Amino acid sequence: MSFREKAAWITLVVLLLCFGLYFGAIATHRISGKGWASVHLLMQCVAAFIVLQIGLTLAARWTTPRDGRSPRDEREQLIVSRSHTVGYYVLMVLTLVIGVPFHAGLPAVVLVNLALLDVVVAGLVVAVAQIVMFRRGF
Amino acid sequence: MSSPISNQIRRLRFEHGEMTQSELAEKIGMTRQTVAAIEAGKYSPSLEAAFRIAQVFDAPLEQVFQWAG
Repeated sequence: MSFREKAAWITLVVLLLCFGLYFGAIATHRISGKGWASVHLLMQCVAAFIVLQIGLTLAARWTTPRDGRSPRDEREQLIVSRSHTVGYYVLMVLTLVIGVPFHAGLPAVVLVNLALLDVVVAGLVVAVAQIVMFRRGF
Repeated sequence: MSSPISNQIRRLRFEHGEMTQSELAEKIGMTRQTVAAIEAGKYSPSLEAAFRIAQVFDAPLEQVFQWAG
């Protein structure tokens, strides 16, 4: 497996792990969406995401030193470009979908969490699209 | 969907001292996975990459890549 594909897997797993924990806690009401408890949990999850993403990417680079040090080749650049295009459209659609609960008068904290969920889902879609294209060749 | 471009990279690699995909990849500045994708017809390289590959085998472009239409 190439370094870039490993990096896409790392992004997928770390996103699922860190933000799954946060949104899982909110959805199951183990923590209130309002107040500092949810903000603290979110900050912890974001910090964990950054640390894990950097740490695991460095570990992946260490296990595939040749790939890790060289710049993306043309196929990898195209895969990154296409996956971000897919992610962009997903983000646009989800952002428009948020307009419905906004007009329904849901509390701001719910809307903020929905906006954050949009970004996370778009990130997941980018990672999955990259993995699919790396797996099938392009 | 299969690519309309076929290639002779696998045969040429073996005719050039059983060159590995990694060795070819290193010579043209790409990853082994990209060479594997080109060889399998899953990815059509840019014109520049195609010329680089032909240069490694010291062969004209049409001997390496063919338009199957």
